[in-house]
Amino acid sequence: MEMVNILMFIIPPILAWVIHIYLRHGDMSGKRKVFFFFLYQLLINACTYGVSCLRGIRGFEFDNMTISYRIKYMGLGCVLGFVIPFIVCLLSEDQITIGGFKRYTTRFIRDNRKYMGYAIRVAKADLRSEVSNSYLDWMWWLIEPFCMMMIYTVIFGVVFNASEKYFPVFIFIGITMWSFFSRSISGSVNTVRANKGVITKVYLPKYILLFSKMLVNGFKMMVSMGIILLMMLVFRVPLTVNVLYVLPILVVLFLFTYGLGTILMHYGVYVNDLGYITGIVLSMMMYFTGTFYAVSKRVPAPFGELLEKFNPIAYLISSMRGALLYGQAPEWGLMGLWGFVSIVLIALGAFTIYSNENAYVKVI
Amino acid sequence: MNEVKKVAIEVKDVCINYRILNSVSVQKSFLRKKVREEVFEAVKHVSFEVEEGGILGIIGKNGSGKSTLLKSIAGVFSPNTGTIDLKGHSVSLMALGVGFKDNLTGRENIVLSGMLLGFSEKEIEARAQDIIDFAEIGEFIDRPVRTYSSGMHSKLAFAITAMLETDIMLVDEVLSVGDERFKKKSLAKMKELINDKNRTVVIVSHSIPTLKELCDKVLWIHDGEMKEIGEPAAVLKHYTDFMAG
Repeated sequence: MEMVNILMFIIPPILAWVIHIYLRHGDMSGKRKVFFFFLYQLLINACTYGVSCLRGIRGFEFDNMTISYRIKYMGLGCVLGFVIPFIVCLLSEDQITIGGFKRYTTRFIRDNRKYMGYAIRVAKADLRSEVSNSYLDWMWWLIEPFCMMMIYTVIFGVVFNASEKYFPVFIFIGITMWSFFSRSISGSVNTVRANKGVITKVYLPKYILLFSKMLVNGFKMMVSMGIILLMMLVFRVPLTVNVLYVLPILVVLFLFTYGLGTILMHYGVYVNDLGYITGIVLSMMMYFTGTFYAVSKRVPAPFGELLEKFNPIAYLISSMRGALLYGQAPEWGLMGLWGFVSIVLIALGAFTIYSNENAYVKVI
Repeated sequence: MNEVKKVAIEVKDVCINYRILNSVSVQKSFLRKKVREEVFEAVKHVSFEVEEGGILGIIGKNGSGKSTLLKSIAGVFSPNTGTIDLKGHSVSLMALGVGFKDNLTGRENIVLSGMLLGFSEKEIEARAQDIIDFAEIGEFIDRPVRTYSSGMHSKLAFAITAMLETDIMLVDEVLSVGDERFKKKSLAKMKELINDKNRTVVIVSHSIPTLKELCDKVLWIHDGEMKEIGEPAAVLKHYTDFMAG
């Protein structure tokens, strides 16, 4: 238990510290690193403690502190640890300036507009070429997820005796969203290498490559979403207005995947074996995300709910299920938070790519 | 000609470094604490201008930074210091292949390459037939590029860059692709493109006769530094003397 007490105070600042060092591109002296380490220790614990005071918990009594409280404390700390370094960097250093931020943002918007046509065209062509040589053509986009759904339904519905309502649809939603996420992420690591032919001959912003890949995956996801709607009719799921929440949920999913993908794509260029690591982490994540079970119900009390709150994909999947199957509206605060985090991730990824993409050609 | 010629390419004090940041694996970076960074300067403080319609030749021994310079003019990567200003002209690097996607058909690749060179879909569609005719690869145009022979691959690549005409053309070695007949045809097309009065051209080559024939200015780069720029005859003579002695 002592370990947990210490970890709960130490992990968030370490996260903040690592992000800070990352933002500074590693040109920090040892002394500075130590200084910032302690600064973040103070800053983040002060903020988290402040919030917990506001919520009415003063002082720490380690003996009768609940696990749930500890994890919430750490979770809030991690979110702060994610945001604060950006502010500190903006305020304290010259390399990341507000002017530079503005310049990159306008460039990002302009480039997006300029290369959007290309990205869409590539995505279309990829989709066409993917099916043109196969026997069953585009039917595969329906058959593959459908078969996966059958497998999981049999295994978890019959063998493990799952009792969720509309179980096949329930599972299908999970698989659809998860496979979009995992395909895009595992693809992102190799994107630059896979497009060597293009990027050594002509300039294009490298995240466009990832974007068009994600359009391909996104299209497949939309096909599956179509099947889900059909299945909902077959299973006579009562339709409510809440079905409309599908859209914002999908948007946040897309943004989050894009943000994470751009960052991984950058590191994928330099770190050869990143593909294995993401593979392992993704398959671990798959079980924690509740692709085929409800995280908040199956995982014992405080953890299930927390796992769902702090794992965006799990949260998005369960909101989607709520909106489609049970007529529940998603929790807006959390949704907004993850949307915000996604945008920060995209900014971080896009700017990292901008400042490093010249070197990509020289490495691969 | 009494009017002042406009400048098409302005290269100012350009340095290009290759940071030899070898790609690492996770294992390596754990074992060795600090990745040693070596910096190799491929191009050092080069500045020159090319007028609109001018033809600049770049000469120098292998590994002297010619292709690096050309690539950075094309925008494949930007220089570490200094600026390259193309005054809003469109540019294409005539190396083999604009970057084909292997799984797509030749026809798709024509459109995608064109879009990367800054053409709109309509403009490309209008010229697609010319490209296909020039490339002479017959029905293969509707098959995936991965099924092409290397000759067909380079023929299509050449046709695309030759038919989609950009304001500035960068040529890395005057290309000779395909069989004898296509070689002749492509060389003739190339000369036609280069001699077009409105087109600015930068040629990297080792062939002294070619440069002498085509260029109106020659830049000699040695180990990344500018050695000389000026009249082709003079610069080329100094270069041959230098290489011989």
